[in-house]
Amino acid sequence: MTAVVPAAPPAAAGPEPDPPSARRTRRLTPYWLLLPAGLWLAVFFAAPLVYQASTSVQSGSLEEGFRVTWEFSHYTDALAAYGPHFLRSFAYAAIATALCLLIGYPLAYMTAFRAGRWRNLVLVAVIAPFFTSFLIRTLAWKTILSDGGPVVGALDALHVLDVTGALGLTGDTRLLATPLAVVCGLTYNFLPFMILPLYSSLERIDPTLHEAARDLYATPAATFRKVTFPLSLPGVVAGTLLTFIPASGDYINAQLLGSPAEQMIGNAIQKQFLNVLDYPAAAAMSFLLMALILIVVSVYLRKAGTEELV
Amino acid sequence: MTILLSGVSKTFGDFTAVHPLDLSVPEGSFFALLGASGCGKTTTLRMLAGLEEPSSGRVLLGDDDITGLPPHRRPVNTVFQNYALFPHLDVAENIAFGLRRRRTGRIRAQVDEMLDLVQLGALAHRKPRQLSGGQQQRVALARALVNRPRVLLLDEPLGALDLKLRRRMQLELKRIQTEVGITFVHVTHDQEEAMTMADTVAVMNEGRVEQLGAPWELYEHPRTPFVANFLGTSNLLRGEPVGPGGEEGDDSAGDGALRVRVAGAPAPLRLPRPPAAAGTAADGAGTGGTSAEETAVGEAGTGGTSAEGTAVGEAATGGPLLLGVRPEKIALAPADAAHTVPEGHNALPGRITDAGYLGVSLTYIVETDACRELTVYAQNVERDTRLTPGTRVVAHWSPAHTFGLDAQGHGQDATAGREAP
Repeated sequence: MTAVVPAAPPAAAGPEPDPPSARRTRRLTPYWLLLPAGLWLAVFFAAPLVYQASTSVQSGSLEEGFRVTWEFSHYTDALAAYGPHFLRSFAYAAIATALCLLIGYPLAYMTAFRAGRWRNLVLVAVIAPFFTSFLIRTLAWKTILSDGGPVVGALDALHVLDVTGALGLTGDTRLLATPLAVVCGLTYNFLPFMILPLYSSLERIDPTLHEAARDLYATPAATFRKVTFPLSLPGVVAGTLLTFIPASGDYINAQLLGSPAEQMIGNAIQKQFLNVLDYPAAAAMSFLLMALILIVVSVYLRKAGTEELV
Repeated sequence: MTILLSGVSKTFGDFTAVHPLDLSVPEGSFFALLGASGCGKTTTLRMLAGLEEPSSGRVLLGDDDITGLPPHRRPVNTVFQNYALFPHLDVAENIAFGLRRRRTGRIRAQVDEMLDLVQLGALAHRKPRQLSGGQQQRVALARALVNRPRVLLLDEPLGALDLKLRRRMQLELKRIQTEVGITFVHVTHDQEEAMTMADTVAVMNEGRVEQLGAPWELYEHPRTPFVANFLGTSNLLRGEPVGPGGEEGDDSAGDGALRVRVAGAPAPLRLPRPPAAAGTAADGAGTGGTSAEETAVGEAGTGGTSAEGTAVGEAATGGPLLLGVRPEKIALAPADAAHTVPEGHNALPGRITDAGYLGVSLTYIVETDACRELTVYAQNVERDTRLTPGTRVVAHWSPAHTFGLDAQGHGQDATAGREAP
């Protein structure tokens, strides 16, 4: 009897199937890998969102404390009081996004197809501004665009300011505290977020496709219109979203480069939170901004037709 | 439309991809540029397409000089190696691409016609990535052919397909070419593919055309060791010609054959004297014969014919030469049956060192004094069971199947082109 028992385990120890515990570990691996991101989202996204949502329907005052009273008037009040801010935010963000695309696309195109050995240098140059703080860079623009500075002087001498002034984009003699300054600041600050996705989608296009298009009677312009641009659409969509969404909620540029007349919704929310201390109103405005951005973006995605993008 | 390359060369920095090249491709022919990778064949094709600008020389299509024309203004279309189908367009739109750029009429009808030709009608609205390799290949072909180009360029179009499909597409391509009658210029590194499809093959090596002719001509009468080894397999033996009045084996038979003494061979080996004329005299492969004759090749500056046809001419004046024979032309007789070797055959005694059974054929390696490894192929009809490794045999073949190569010219030794696929 005793001789048989020790003989059994080695017999099973050959090419045995994994023990049940190992199989369970393997099945759970994806969840373990997702755990850090899931926790991060729960703590820093879902929880604040719920908290904000509840704040937005509270009423009361700082002294007496806020209680959830399902007070939805904050939303309608915010729209009524800050409609122009919302409009301005989206208009500035849209213009800045369009400018980013106009500036970023040629740069990304040249980097992807023509830069050769300079390619990495260009990419480093695109990212280099990130080594300085967002705030410092925007403050630097304040100096660059300052009244009587070289930029204003040059534009004035070229009579550019006369034109933009007549269009209401700038003052007749100054750039600071004008819509143009805010849009320029937004464009500058978010340009890398446009260039990088554009570059990565352009860089993936097989250069033989360009040759094939040229071989099939496409002029260089037609090659771009019919082949390069359609194939870079995923980058265009990603770049515009990465630019438009943060630009709509931005308040630093409007605060440093604009006047009260250029205030965006971000400035209004900041003021409600930090100066007026009306937390329910501020929370309601934040939610409204989020909802409006979602609407704008989903309409845009529908139009851009992402479903068949390669 | 006849294509004429005149002194065309291409250099990239210090590297010469294509040496000055004269080449003419007659209208309606199926022309193959054959060579190992890096031999300049694709660069030559790209210069025809306009995707690469020649460093020198002119490209003519019929009477039009198209050297400086950009690709979109050339009446030439290309089937690219990786097909280069537009991934964002479906099959029908891929095919319509060229027609839309030129704003021709009846686009739908022409696309449908072409879809029928390549038998892809049912897949017109699929995206390229939803197609198999063979289907993509046919879309690429249709996309080029629908424009009715005067010349169709094919850059290794079958390289990505598996063997069976490749065989089928070879026949398919040949059928389509016959049907549409357009000049095809086909680049490939696969000698079998070139020989199956092309009327005329130009073998390229290191930026030069080594030899040009009908497939059978290149195979039966290679002019350089590279061609002899790159197209199929050759046994090459180094030897010295013996003058007509030579001491042994002189021209008593009056057969006009040249005698070559090969170290280790019991008697001088014979080879026919004028192989340059053999091309036109030989029967055979037929279809390609005429186009091969119309086709001229040479290196600019050195004159069209100097590189060719001279191998044996020089050899006759006393230089060393390489004597070649294809493995399937050699027969083996056991040493004790040596008397069965026909009179006048070239013969080398030796010993079988290896025998391989391939089903359709048999491969023997015979060690002789003249050649350490003489390769012999035999049809598997009536297998001689005496031919086993270790057996002493006599390898023999008809002098008519022997070719001579200049042993010093071309900067090549007897193994040139052998590593290539």
